[in-house]
Amino acid sequence: MRKKIALFILLGWLLLVIGDRVDELRVYQGAQIAMYTIALSSIVLLTGYSGQVSLGNGAMMAVGGYAAALTLNNLGSPVWFAFLMAIFFSALFGALLGTAAARLSGPYLAGTTLALAVGLPAIANQFSFLGGEPGIFFDVGLPAQSLGEEFTQYKWFFWIATFIALLSLFITSNILASRFGRTWRAIRSNPLAAELSGIHSSRMKILAFTISSALAGLAGAVLAMTISLVAPGAYTLTLSFALVTGAVLAGVSSLPGVLLGALILVAIPEIADVLANSWGGGENFSNYLPGLIVSLLLILSVIFTPNGPGENLRRHHHKKASEH
Amino acid sequence: MQKLLETVLIGISTGSIYALMSLALVLVWRSTRVVNFAQAGQATLSTYIGFEIASRSEIFWLGLAFAIIAGALVGAGVDYFFMRVLFKHAISGPAAVVAPVIATLGLLGLIRSIVGLIWGGEFKSIAAPASKDGFTIGQTTIPFSALNVLIIATVSLILITLAITFQRTNLGLSLRASAYAPEIAQLAGIRTARTRTIGWAIAGGVGGVAGMLVTSYNFLSPYSLDLLLVFGFIAAVIGGLESMVGSVIGALVLGIGLTFILNYIGTSLVFIGGFVVLIVVLLVKPDGIMARGKTRRA
Repeated sequence: MRKKIALFILLGWLLLVIGDRVDELRVYQGAQIAMYTIALSSIVLLTGYSGQVSLGNGAMMAVGGYAAALTLNNLGSPVWFAFLMAIFFSALFGALLGTAAARLSGPYLAGTTLALAVGLPAIANQFSFLGGEPGIFFDVGLPAQSLGEEFTQYKWFFWIATFIALLSLFITSNILASRFGRTWRAIRSNPLAAELSGIHSSRMKILAFTISSALAGLAGAVLAMTISLVAPGAYTLTLSFALVTGAVLAGVSSLPGVLLGALILVAIPEIADVLANSWGGGENFSNYLPGLIVSLLLILSVIFTPNGPGENLRRHHHKKASEH
Repeated sequence: MQKLLETVLIGISTGSIYALMSLALVLVWRSTRVVNFAQAGQATLSTYIGFEIASRSEIFWLGLAFAIIAGALVGAGVDYFFMRVLFKHAISGPAAVVAPVIATLGLLGLIRSIVGLIWGGEFKSIAAPASKDGFTIGQTTIPFSALNVLIIATVSLILITLAITFQRTNLGLSLRASAYAPEIAQLAGIRTARTRTIGWAIAGGVGGVAGMLVTSYNFLSPYSLDLLLVFGFIAAVIGGLESMVGSVIGALVLGIGLTFILNYIGTSLVFIGGFVVLIVVLLVKPDGIMARGKTRRA
């Protein structure tokens, strides 16, 4: 435990040092990576551990984003309280949905959460207090004066996002290593055996859904912070798909893998941009190339390494070990 | 009274398009045990092809024919080149349960990106094959139009053709047999793999029609059929995912129900209404309205 804390503090310090050395755009992308890290760990917890598929994590992020923005704008509360409210409301929403979801299996759950991902952001268009298509502002304020004149807004986002991401990664990794993590894995690999050994499987599934939604909602609030805005256009079906892709790419049951997944998700639009420019493609090219790359990666990884590159390696080692 | 009538009529017209999408989902589910989320992508691609033909020839029906052919080819291709490969890599481990679902999702994204690369994101529209102006009864004009009649007629024709195919032909028998008991069907000499691909082709063609019909009164974009997929899925769940008749009934009920919400309450609640229906059906009658005390298979 103490080692883990030390590791996280070291990682945080390293990130802060790197944040000081690179240019503004990279700092901004660093904040995005932190956001994706939180969002992907919510999928790892839900799909990789408890074995439930959710295609609606983008919708959960929207719940968190709107909760944070409404709290900050209407109550004039401090920023940390807005983030707490994002966690609270998305967890509440997740618990409600989880109650229904615990009774559903595979395709039913996937379809239900897909419906949510398609429809929920669009609902924001219908209610005036949610700001409609243009959305509502979410402004966490300028960086503290004590950090100096040189300290930019993006670096401030990066600090907040990184802090939240490290904290939630730490908490998540502890949850997954605890009794809960073991129980979820038991339910995933053999529901019947788990029930027979006294595990209350639907209660545990609801718990997984709740925690996962809380993480997704937190990620949604962080996303809102980086773009200073909560709008339906930020939480599209494409985002939900990207999250699933990131989680699958990095190995859906590996928590450290989310760092890699987040990195890939932020890198893909960059790579697509470079490709689009060098091939001299038009507007369509730069708009749809990232989606093309993401989907191709998703398909290839599902077919060839469904459990992530790490899993294959481990199995390879295992085989080698058993041969001797 | 008049409002009630027009709500039911429009509801049937909307519901009949949902019926096509939910039929496509059910057809694939029965044979492959996968809810094919890529169906929306396949339908989008076939509709764009239909759009090209229809806008160049200025004949809607020619476009529809091409959309059906393209849909069938894409459907067969997806099964042949994609699903077979996926199932050949017998998957184990934590991702085993979720792999097929995620794979069809990836396919949806892939087809959508390809469509976007070719046609771009701007809204396109197809000239409707019939007037969109409502009929006039006495003094008042109701929103129910000749186009709605045509939609209902087209869907009915397709449903009747499908029913005859499934009930009266050898192909239909082998389709039903391979879906019901693949091993026994194989022993009886049915080439189940090929039959499955034919099932995917039929589903693809039906999805193509759904896309063209939606586009006849709406615009077309790489994302315009997402909602159709969702409502088609809800309708299929109402029918129990297994039953073709159930899914059609489910689609009509959903179409009429949502039109009621639209006409009597407001647009803001249409999606929430659909979602509530989905949750209620899943909690109260997860086997769907056609279940006969049989437990759900998946």
